Amino acid sequence: MSLEGFTWRAGGCHCGGVRFEVALPEVVEAQTCNCSMCAKSGFIHIIVPESRFRVTKGMERLAEYTFNTRVAKHLFCAECGIKSFYRPRSNPDGWSVNARCLDEAAKLDLSAFDGQNWEANADQLAHLSLEPS
Amino acid sequence: MSAVLTGHCHCGAIRVEFEPGKPVAELPLRACQCGFCRRHGSRTTSDPASRLHIEVAPGALTRYRFGRRATDALICADCGVYVASLIEVEGRAFATLNVAGVGFEAFADRTPEPAVYDYETDEAKLARRLSRWTPTVLVETSPSA
Repeated sequence: MSLEGFTWRAGGCHCGGVRFEVALPEVVEAQTCNCSMCAKSGFIHIIVPESRFRVTKGMERLAEYTFNTRVAKHLFCAECGIKSFYRPRSNPDGWSVNARCLDEAAKLDLSAFDGQNWEANADQLAHLSLEPS
Repeated sequence: MSAVLTGHCHCGAIRVEFEPGKPVAELPLRACQCGFCRRHGSRTTSDPASRLHIEVAPGALTRYRFGRRATDALICADCGVYVASLIEVEGRAFATLNVAGVGFEAFADRTPEPAVYDYETDEAKLARRLSRWTPTVLVETSPSA
């Protein structure tokens, strides 16, 4: 496994209690989503494999919310409510990081994911959590 | 008068009713550019001629203060959704509502106006909020005995 071509970028919630790092390429594939949860939390998805993400501070401050199939683990800072990252139902082997929570804005290649028709579309995202070879 | 708009956070523990004092299409829609609102993807409206009622299930309210610490950001403790920011002045409450957080479809197709308030004095912030925000009643329900 090699992370050549990726740079570790830092980010976090608003109050500073939760911090993370994510290894990103120069141009980052990202998705907006129109599902009930993402519409209310304004989440912009950067889905990455396990090896490209690490929590550096505040795991104990995260509250967990689940609904419907309860596969996705929606995590938010218990103090400021910010959802910096979570375990997505589409990629439970990886993480989805909120592009809005990066310290420095990344160059995003943004597409609109139709999460209102999740079952028909989820396979489009599966490759995003594959480990780098 | 426009019909009352109703909505809630994702889990439903915080519910809102907004009585518009003018046609909904004439209500402002703002995207505040502060670090808190950007991270929550906030899309807010407020109107002094409208009325807002917020009802919170027992134990479901997180109040978060930051910056000048003058307002309470109201966040659902169960699902994390940011609902509104509230000030209380002389026993009266005023709020700006995150219409994205409570799922008001009437605003869904509109483009918000970016709003930057970084350089306001405390006095100017208070004056703006009192002149623009919506008179609000916040009710935190108690568990039944």
